[in-house]
This record gives sequence, structure tokens and C-alpha cells, in this order.
Amino acid sequence: MKRIVFTNPAAQKIYDDYIKRVTRCIRLLSADDQRDTLMEINSHIYEATNAAPPENEIEILLDTLEKLGSPEEVLQPLVAYKKAQQATRSFNPVHILQAMRLNIANGAAYVILAFFYLLSVSFCILIILKIIYPSHTGLFMQNDKFIAFGFTTELSGGLTEVLGQLFIPVVILLMGALYFLNTLLFRLLKKE
Amino acid sequence: MYYICCMNSEFVQNWFSQVKKGTLSYIILIILDEKEYYGYELVQEIKIHTTLEVAEGTLYPLLNRLKAEGIVDSKWVEQESGIPRKYYTLSKSGKATLTEMQKIWSALETAINKLQK
Repeated sequence: MKRIVFTNPAAQKIYDDYIKRVTRCIRLLSADDQRDTLMEINSHIYEATNAAPPENEIEILLDTLEKLGSPEEVLQPLVAYKKAQQATRSFNPVHILQAMRLNIANGAAYVILAFFYLLSVSFCILIILKIIYPSHTGLFMQNDKFIAFGFTTELSGGLTEVLGQLFIPVVILLMGALYFLNTLLFRLLKKE
Repeated sequence: MYYICCMNSEFVQNWFSQVKKGTLSYIILIILDEKEYYGYELVQEIKIHTTLEVAEGTLYPLLNRLKAEGIVDSKWVEQESGIPRKYYTLSKSGKATLTEMQKIWSALETAINKLQK
């Protein structure tokens, strides 16, 4: 992107700082989206400052930037939307988590999605715990009644772990199902 | 009594910002139906033709959304200054969308006019 050159050093600093803020706000986007967004903002600043009579560079620039708005505020919906697009295209969990964080303010459905992802992470931790503490991790029953699924420190009398070695494959299956459902739900939300 | 005749300005403001939000994409499509515009030029057109106070920065997320929906197309056009402009045009699907929106708008306008009489 070609940088706009101002004759007044103070105006140059204001412009450079604004561009830095824009760059910071869009850092989560793909390289192409970052370049496109930055070029568009830069083009707007250039056109707006050039359309005004060349009296006071600083005043004109400040007015332009004020009308554009704070990058942190105005670019948030764009970043959230583009990140959601990237996440649905890639199925990449990192992108999906970032998109959820950015879109969480957009509705309760994203809170549910975040909860499901947290559950998937917990399942992952359970697998590790099963390897370290096999008798304390699993599906616990007492007198044919379901007591718990997970990790327990206390193994009171009559409490038996019923899944044994099957626990890890079952948890992996559950994680896979959760991940698939979550991504599907995410795509449906994106279509709305 | 004062509280009866005094309008609820907060309610009106909230309602107006919802109307603004809902009509901005319609306004953009009407403007782009004439010819292609680049971002800054489009902002100026909105200002000329409407009294809407639009935060200029909010236009770009909306244009991006319209593009993702296939309603508008965009292309970068190099300029002598070295700083290219991104021109937006209405796509084929955008033209059909606008026709449909115009029908809805007309029906709504007629209904409201009838109610107001």
C-alpha cells in the first residue's frame, strides 16, 4: 500500500498513527483481507483530504478521521464478519474460536457455540486425566444409577467406573460429534 | 399534563437509528443502480441525496457484506496518484434484489400512507 505523504509532520504523524491502529484492528484477518481493508481506508483518507481545499492539512485530516470513526469501533463488524467467513471456509478451530470471540456480542447462539467448544476442550483434558488417573476418570455408576462422567477425586464405596479402556474412544467420538455439530451450527448462523 | 404531550425523544432516536440501519443498504443499491462509485464518492452521494448522518467508516463493513452476498461487485482501479480507488457496481443479482426491495418499499409506503390518513 502506498503511504499518503503530508507536508506537515504533525499531520503525517496523525495519519501514520491512524493507519497503525487500523493495522492492529485487522491483524486477525487473512493477508488478502488485511491488504484490501487497509487500501480501502487509505483510499478514503486520500480522496477526502484531496477533495477539501488545501488550507490546513491537520484540520482536514482530523475532520476526515473523525468522520471515518475510530478504527476499533467501525472495523469491528467488518473484522467479525470476515473472520466468520474465513472460519466457515477453513474449518480451522483457531479461526472458529477467533470468529466466535468477535461475534459473541451478536447473539446468544454464539454463547452456546462458545460453551460447546469449551466442552470439547474439557473432553480433551479428560483424555489426559484418564491416562494419568485411570481409576478416577470415566463413567461412574453406583447401584445401576448414573453418578458422573468425568474426573473424581473420591471413590466412595460402590462407585464403579464402567467404561474402562473404552472411555478414551468414547470421548474422542463425543469430541468429534461436538466439533462437527458446532461447525455446522456456525455455518447455519453465518447463513442467517 | 406535560408528560403526556412531550414526545419520548429517546424512543424516537432509537427508532430512527433502526430505520437508518435498515434503509442504508437500500439507499446504497439505489445509488449504485445509476453508475459505479468508489467508497468516498458513495459517501458524498448519500450525503447529497439524504439527510442521513452516516458514520463514514460504517459504510465499508456494509459494502463488504453486500459484496459477500453477491449483491455488489468491486474492482480496484489504479490512479495517477498511486493510490487506487475501489469501485463498486450493482451485480446482476443486486439489480434483481433492488427491484424486489423497491416493490416492498412501495407496498410499505402505500400501507403507511393509508394508515396515516
